[in-house]
Amino acid sequence: MSLGECAKSAFRNVFSNKMRTFLTMLGIIIGISSVIAIVSIGNGSQAAIEKEFESFGTGSLTISLTGYNNIETRDLLTMDDYDMLKEIKGVRYVNPTYSGRNTYIKLLDPQETKSASVSGVTADAQYIDNPTMLYGRYISQNDVDMKTNVAVINDTTALKVFGYCNASILGEKIKLKTWKGTGKYTVIGIMENTNASTETAYSDEFPETVLLPISTAIRLYNNKNLSGFSVLIEDLEQTEMMKEKITVALEQFHKNEDKYYIQDSSEMVDSINSILSYVTLFISFVAGISLLVGGIGVMNIMMVTVTERTREIGIRKSIGAKNKDIKIQFMTEAVILTGMGGVAGLVLGVGFAVLIGHFAGITPVLSVGAVAMAVGISMGIGIIFGVTPANKAARLDPIEALRFE
Amino acid sequence: MEILRLEHIRKEYNQSELSVVALHDINLQVNEGEFLSIMGTSGSGKSTMLNILGCLDSPTSGSYYLDGEDVAKFKDEKLAEIRNKKIGFVFQSFNLLPKLSSLENVELPMVYAGVSKKIRHQKAMIALEKVGLGKRVKHKPNELSGGQRQRVAIARALVNAPSILMADEPTGNLDSRSTVEIMEIFQKLNDDGTTIVMVTHEPDVAQYTKRIALFKDGSIIKDEQVKNRTLAGGSAV
Repeated sequence: MSLGECAKSAFRNVFSNKMRTFLTMLGIIIGISSVIAIVSIGNGSQAAIEKEFESFGTGSLTISLTGYNNIETRDLLTMDDYDMLKEIKGVRYVNPTYSGRNTYIKLLDPQETKSASVSGVTADAQYIDNPTMLYGRYISQNDVDMKTNVAVINDTTALKVFGYCNASILGEKIKLKTWKGTGKYTVIGIMENTNASTETAYSDEFPETVLLPISTAIRLYNNKNLSGFSVLIEDLEQTEMMKEKITVALEQFHKNEDKYYIQDSSEMVDSINSILSYVTLFISFVAGISLLVGGIGVMNIMMVTVTERTREIGIRKSIGAKNKDIKIQFMTEAVILTGMGGVAGLVLGVGFAVLIGHFAGITPVLSVGAVAMAVGISMGIGIIFGVTPANKAARLDPIEALRFE
Repeated sequence: MEILRLEHIRKEYNQSELSVVALHDINLQVNEGEFLSIMGTSGSGKSTMLNILGCLDSPTSGSYYLDGEDVAKFKDEKLAEIRNKKIGFVFQSFNLLPKLSSLENVELPMVYAGVSKKIRHQKAMIALEKVGLGKRVKHKPNELSGGQRQRVAIARALVNAPSILMADEPTGNLDSRSTVEIMEIFQKLNDDGTTIVMVTHEPDVAQYTKRIALFKDGSIIKDEQVKNRTLAGGSAV
């Protein structure tokens, strides 16, 4: 009996009892759909994180204090460190990490005051963060030197503050409110919000982004301590050496030891990815259990099917079916059953992924590997759990089978 | 020409400690063109005999020559092949697959023989026309009468052009009119050269055949040609 004949006959049998078929496939459907949904969401988040870090810049190092427990005043980072770091050979750009606290911005749409995330930057930041400027310009060295009251905002903030977003905003003023009072800053540039999709979903939780010249920010908050630096190095190959060189330079400059921690962006991507892969692994494990249970369900139903169709097996044998023909027939049925469950699970899983992705602001990524895995695993389950019932069918004695009522 | 020959066939069934002898030293020869009925009461060993003749079962000892080949020692796979190519079965309860149409049921032995779809279709149509069911090929067994179902079964038994047709109480589930119809088909097939071995416990039905072997307690006690044979067409010879 050819495989085509087997498949035709298997489909006929599988579809002759739709409800039973559906219930049998359910375990497989649930298992495969959860694996597919999780894997595509996981891949999607991974891609999004990697993209974010790409825009953040590869080859960038993040310098921070190791912790605030035993940090003394002399260990703190200031703009003096900035001047020092800039002079190190192999360092391309340096940008201080400086955020103001308890700052509010007055909005027009909706009319309220909202918390703002104010960052102090140097002109170098544009080469490290790679912002896309929609209108106007970025903060310049002159702004930093002159401590000018200028600001760069993003398009999301522009819409909320002014109710529109176009070049006519340039030259307008935004109001920032701190404990010292309210200050006005002239908008000189509008950049694209790279987190737009995420921020729309959680708009209330995201403060508005405002960039000020670092010198202006220090004056505003009356605090010259920086939380760290971002450094872009010239040669990626030299990452480890540069980390060492910068650490030594900082330690010599501050006359201390083990106070600074330098992380490179690939490390951050790696650590986030490893967390993601653990989550994926765990959920896949749970889905694996569902597949195992589903497989046992398939085996159970196939056992019942063999008993129900004992007479049919007897008839087939009496007209010349060999043991292996019967075995292949029942194996094919099991594989078609689980394979269909796998395909249904795949479709459902993609649906789940798109749905979850829509609400979480992630674009799910479905890889060919995941599809092949889903179909492969489900058919594999059919083979593994179909063998025992198929062997039982193949070994039936034709005379006994023909007598079966 | 000899189609089959049994030499000292013995069949024992071992049920726990107890050994039951179903057939003692059976010797039987069937030649081409014969129409043999095996008769006997229940428990006489006639069904065991048919199972061995039909290669569904193997004897405990003895030789069974079918078309000159000793099939008594054959294993499962080889027996399946013999059943497929050399033997056609007709059962009391028809044994058609309920989900398949008449045509598909008749095609089934050829599916296992590896015949191509086109040839299968043609041969099955010819076989169905031969039994007078050329117009009911798409019907499923439950849409046919008992007599019609048995005719489909006969078409299925014939379709691989077997050396011998084995029938196990083929009229046992049929009314008298259908019985006559089926026996008419058998007689016609036999006239055309098909060798038939039929098990029955009804003397009336056995009268349609040419030779009767009577079984009792696992042995043949009488084996003779039929006198006053009934012809399904009407008159006796």
